[in-house]
Amino acid sequence: MTLLLQAIVNGLEMGFLYALVAVGLTIIWGLMEMINFAHGEFLMLGMFGAWWASVAFGLDPLLSIVPVGLAMYALGVLVYRQLMRRVQRGDPFTQIFATVGLLFLLQNSAVAVFTSDYRYLSDTLLTRLSGANVNLLGITIGVPLLIGALLALVLFLALYLLIDRTEFGLALRATAEDREAAMLVGIRPQKMFAVAWGLGAALVAVAGAILANFFAVFPQVGFPFTVLAYAIVALGGFGSILGTLLAALLVGVVQSVTTVYLPPAFKDAFVFASYIVIGLCRPQGLFGRF
Amino acid sequence: MRRVSTVLTAIMCLLLVAALASRTPAASVPEVLIGDVLPLTGNFASLGQQYLWAGQTVEDIINNDYPDLAVPLGPGKGFPGLGGAPAKFIFRDDQSRGDLARTIAEQLITVNRVHWLNGDGTSGNTSIIQPVVESYGIPMSCHPCASPTLTEKGMKWYWRTGPNDRTMVASLFSFLKEWPEHGGPKGLKTVAVFTCDNLFCQDNRKIANELLPRLGFEIVLDLTTKTGATTLASEVQRLQAAKPDILFLVQYPPETSIFQGDAKRAGWTPKVIATSNGAYSDQTWLEAQKKTNGGAGWVGRDPTAIDLVQGRPSWKKVNEIYKTYSRGQTMGELAMREITGLLWMADTINRAKSVEPAALAQAAMDTNTPPEQLIIDYKGIRFNQNHQNELATGVVTQIGWDGEKHTVWPWELAKRANFKILYPNPGWQERDSTPKPAE
Repeated sequence: MTLLLQAIVNGLEMGFLYALVAVGLTIIWGLMEMINFAHGEFLMLGMFGAWWASVAFGLDPLLSIVPVGLAMYALGVLVYRQLMRRVQRGDPFTQIFATVGLLFLLQNSAVAVFTSDYRYLSDTLLTRLSGANVNLLGITIGVPLLIGALLALVLFLALYLLIDRTEFGLALRATAEDREAAMLVGIRPQKMFAVAWGLGAALVAVAGAILANFFAVFPQVGFPFTVLAYAIVALGGFGSILGTLLAALLVGVVQSVTTVYLPPAFKDAFVFASYIVIGLCRPQGLFGRF
Repeated sequence: MRRVSTVLTAIMCLLLVAALASRTPAASVPEVLIGDVLPLTGNFASLGQQYLWAGQTVEDIINNDYPDLAVPLGPGKGFPGLGGAPAKFIFRDDQSRGDLARTIAEQLITVNRVHWLNGDGTSGNTSIIQPVVESYGIPMSCHPCASPTLTEKGMKWYWRTGPNDRTMVASLFSFLKEWPEHGGPKGLKTVAVFTCDNLFCQDNRKIANELLPRLGFEIVLDLTTKTGATTLASEVQRLQAAKPDILFLVQYPPETSIFQGDAKRAGWTPKVIATSNGAYSDQTWLEAQKKTNGGAGWVGRDPTAIDLVQGRPSWKKVNEIYKTYSRGQTMGELAMREITGLLWMADTINRAKSVEPAALAQAAMDTNTPPEQLIIDYKGIRFNQNHQNELATGVVTQIGWDGEKHTVWPWELAKRANFKILYPNPGWQERDSTPKPAE
């Protein structure tokens, strides 16, 4: 029983980190319905940004999330204006190929600039806390991951308030649902899309800065997270912030519990199997509206 | 009649010239082309870049004069056996993809007309290139590729100077078996095998499953995990529950660091962590351990006694050249294996005095390189019938509190290294409280 409970707790902790990664995609893909295969590369840039700020300026990743987030917001806006705006009205395949091209451009640029070496952060607030645990009824909860989980919750709350409770969020949702109608009430769709891309890139980069405390930093680090993020957003329901959070937790727990009882090779297979099962019962995802 | 004989003579002369031209003497080859297929981007890019730097180092050694460098083709410029022709390496990136590696290999052979193909540095992709090269019939090598199957298939055109996993993993388990007779612990009986899912990891897993029971160890858990895992917390739970004395870990650097994080969170350390290649061969992972003591006490297999070989003048000089390409990074054991192999290739081409595949194959089989000409601790280079260097050896090293690798097996080398083996594997608190070498 303890083994199962420990696995659930481990899964929940990882789930919060997955949620952090998926949150940017919730806006770009889930809400604005634009495909971005370079999502993991924005994460990778966020990780490199945090690593570089730590090595060059001694800045802790928990502080560097501010400059990293701002820089990546600018990059997100730039990517939309210079690339995605031009392919937005085209065939979905054009969007796919444009963002796949962006994926290779960003990944190979990182190889050119940083080389393919693995980089590690070892002297940060969270890495210094590694090994610090809270023990509850025989269950061990890692303090650094707990802090990561709390940060994820704060980000989600902020995003939820922004999207669901502000005029800006309303304008964003209106643009996603009916661009022409939004224009009639004075909303500038291009601006909304640019802000959505900026926000999406900034959020996933902030996630990257936090993840840099737990994972090796290297140019190809984003891909496994991208795959999971797509599954999470689809599972949670497109555009649903709460759905993304719950789906991320579900994915974390499914991965963790499966591995305790079955060969680890089934870990991701069960994640996607649960997506198929939920897709059959609720094609719009757990909390999707359509 | 006279005109006819003049014309006939002219035709004969032309035919003679044409015949001679078609038999271009080897010495007039303008340059020797080496195709090098490498994973410079994608999942194995960190390995590929080390092989790239190794290739650039060897190209530099061949084409420039290093009078005091006691390695093949160190002194003098170009290939003396080919009239001083220089070497030209054509490096191509296969993005860590087997299908692309295959296409590139074909292009290098048919379009660039390379005389020798090297690559790709990973056993899985190399096994995909092998049949292509075999069908065209030119020599090929992959020196750091350690999968035994690469040479056991009986390929006609494939050579490997480096030891295979069977040799190296056997070294590791021989050390564990013999350790009690040399003052080591007597109660090490149970082993958990924890590997990733590609050809390299699975070969190691199979060898472990084959050798361990034969040596009297009991395998209590055998876990394979996907390359590119984002968490290993549940795997650590299962390992912890299995309570092995020894953990045999074969994982790449990102997964190894995830394992370390999850094991630390679970507060678990087995008595011995024995590893094979992967992170243990990665220079950046090793450097990172100096800031955390995370690798202290880990035992691993290596193709050379890295602490002893660094004293050699030729090693130092080659490392100096390597560092001009690697942005200052010191040669790791993978780079050493690749450089040793590429220098052997250069020596073979030089001895063949030709770039004809048959002559190169003959020269390769005639190889009998003494250990003094190597920058690595092999007992020499000499090929068996499968084109595997039968003098390539394996040693066992352990990471000390200084963050460096120290030779602990074979025992005669261990005596020279004079290192006190760390046992049991230090706990996480001890790692945190002990001064870190990089601080």
